Amino acid sequence: MSMLRGNYFHPRASRFEAAEAHYDEGTRTLRVVRGDGTIIDQAPARAVRPSLRLGHLMRHLAFPGGARFDVAGNDDVDAFLRAARMRVRGAVIDRLERSWITVAVAIGLALIAGYLAFALGIPALAQSLAERTPPSVSEAIAGQSMVILDNMAFSPSQLPAADQAKAEALFARVAREGKLGAGAYRLVFRHGGSVGPNALALPDGTIIMTDEMWPYVKRDDEILGVFAHEIAHVDRRHTLQILYRAAMVPAIIAVISGDVSQVTSLSSALPALLLQAAYSRELEQQADDDAAVSLRKIGADPAAMGALIERIEAVLCGKDGCGPSWLGSHPEGHERAERLRHPRQ
Amino acid sequence: MPVAGGLSVSMTAAPAGEGAEPQRLAFEFRGHGSEFFRIWIVNISLTILTLGIYSAWARVRTKRYFYGNTYLGGHPFDYHASPLRILVGRIIAVLILLLYNLTAAINPGFAILWLLAFVLALPWLINSSLRFNARYTSYRNVRFNFHGTYGLAFLAHIGWPIIGGITLGTLIPLARRARDYYNINNHTYGGAPFHTEYKGWRIYIAYLIGVALVIALYVGVMMLVFGMYDATHPAPVPVADTGPNHLKLPDTTPPQLPWWYYAIGYLVLAGVTVIWLSIRHIVDTMVFNLGIGNATLDGKHNLQSKLFPPTVAWIKITNILLTLVTLGLFYPFARVRFARYEARRLGLAAASDLSEFTSETIGNTNAVGEEIGSVFDVDIGL
Repeated sequence: MSMLRGNYFHPRASRFEAAEAHYDEGTRTLRVVRGDGTIIDQAPARAVRPSLRLGHLMRHLAFPGGARFDVAGNDDVDAFLRAARMRVRGAVIDRLERSWITVAVAIGLALIAGYLAFALGIPALAQSLAERTPPSVSEAIAGQSMVILDNMAFSPSQLPAADQAKAEALFARVAREGKLGAGAYRLVFRHGGSVGPNALALPDGTIIMTDEMWPYVKRDDEILGVFAHEIAHVDRRHTLQILYRAAMVPAIIAVISGDVSQVTSLSSALPALLLQAAYSRELEQQADDDAAVSLRKIGADPAAMGALIERIEAVLCGKDGCGPSWLGSHPEGHERAERLRHPRQ
Repeated sequence: MPVAGGLSVSMTAAPAGEGAEPQRLAFEFRGHGSEFFRIWIVNISLTILTLGIYSAWARVRTKRYFYGNTYLGGHPFDYHASPLRILVGRIIAVLILLLYNLTAAINPGFAILWLLAFVLALPWLINSSLRFNARYTSYRNVRFNFHGTYGLAFLAHIGWPIIGGITLGTLIPLARRARDYYNINNHTYGGAPFHTEYKGWRIYIAYLIGVALVIALYVGVMMLVFGMYDATHPAPVPVADTGPNHLKLPDTTPPQLPWWYYAIGYLVLAGVTVIWLSIRHIVDTMVFNLGIGNATLDGKHNLQSKLFPPTVAWIKITNILLTLVTLGLFYPFARVRFARYEARRLGLAAASDLSEFTSETIGNTNAVGEEIGSVFDVDIGL
């Protein structure tokens, strides 16, 4: 292709005229000529920069003086550039983008990579970060959390001293099995109010049990299970892991989707929320499994905790349970009880 | 019209002419969803394969695609930023995002420091972003530019919102107008200024319509919620006195709620979110029409904007729903769909054939401000 027809825009101006671009092999120059043959502009071919091919966008040649030559018809342009021995950059990527086979491969790659990143990569990274986090950070988080909980949700415990003593004795039995040694954990009591019957673990080893939990307990093994579950959260540093995972999810979404503002848009907020719920369920299940191991070591029955969970959910939510598991932060109550009755090793 | 080189131009290509006939030029978006889908999916795969580094090139390709397929009077726009600059800005931005999430989680006190730093940096971020995008955008070989200053940006993006808040919201429409004035009136094309101006009462009407719609939504939801509550909450049933540990159980059991109660609850929540978003889009579109529709270039070329608010809301909402349902695959089609509609409703009443412009001499600009701004979703789009 020895000639291109297009519009020549004068240097740095919006003024243009129809013209032709010619390549002169002898002098290796690019020449822009009017219909009547007068030369409007010329430059060494090396100094002219062609725009990258992208879809069916109009192509242009940028001349060194700030002039621009707009041409339609990508294939003609490519042929002309090759004849003029000018580098046709970006051709590979453009060809990839035009081939539907590549696209199918790309979709598969994206789905697989996404799965790997969110199901394996982030948890692994979060875990190794959590293991390397100094204890002072855990203490700081725990301190802050306790203050917030006491201000916003909890009030001082009204549990009678005898019951507190019994709970602490049971707690000590399980704490001995904890990875950090019995002295690393302590049990505190609070009146739960609208939180209801529950137990939470703070990253510094503080485990909170609400008064409302106590009346539901029928056997010692049940509350031993709850304590073992919470201690497992501390041992595995789940609070830190959840924090790190939550921090990484937006960053990864931003990088992959290539459009950073998508991080906060509605269509990625929902997947991110579902992802967080899934991560939470995964960690709750880990804690259940760890608890089952510790309980058997001290001669207690893991299935007892399952019974307690089902009993609480039956009162709070009715016999159908507390809602679909894909939305919840904990696995569904009956599922947990089943798994505790038949634990996998 | 003589056709030159396969291009279709809507005006005579007269050499160096000062054709002074006013004419109405139409915007047009010539991209295709299927074409952009392929570009987008290759962008994502290459970004994944290069662990994120290609994302800067992906961003430039995306912007080039949208700008380059937007035609005015038969000529396309162009975006020519250097991906390397964007990469540097992007790396810095993602690091800041991570740092913010971590430190804010560890100690809420940090969040306050970050907030303060962010507020102070915001005018710079906005200016940086607008300037970067303007300078690397051109139309017919002439570049745009942005001339905002820190002080004016502070006033428009922080000062005015504060005034809006202090006056309990009554001046919020004016704050919005001040922001749009700042964003539009500091742009230039080939050194010639853009200018927009319109009477304050017109933006109040837009907001009042929004308020009326929100009230209607609120009333509707309240009626629905109370209706459902009455239907499903009979008086609670008293229960036996003591439990196994001889302590009192709660006085009554909560009522057994049917499973569909929760299902309807979630649906209502989803519906309210959708309607709320629609109302926001409706108001935003009216404000956009005011800002762009009253804008002039060089005092003599008039921009026109006639986006129809319900259509915009419809397109945006269905786009979100389709994107969710297709696990994100509809996203490129969604973007093209909106770009097509938007271009169709924009126009320019030009007083000349637009050949009188020349580019200012502009040095190189870095993208750090723009990337940091977009990480924190600084919404500066017009």
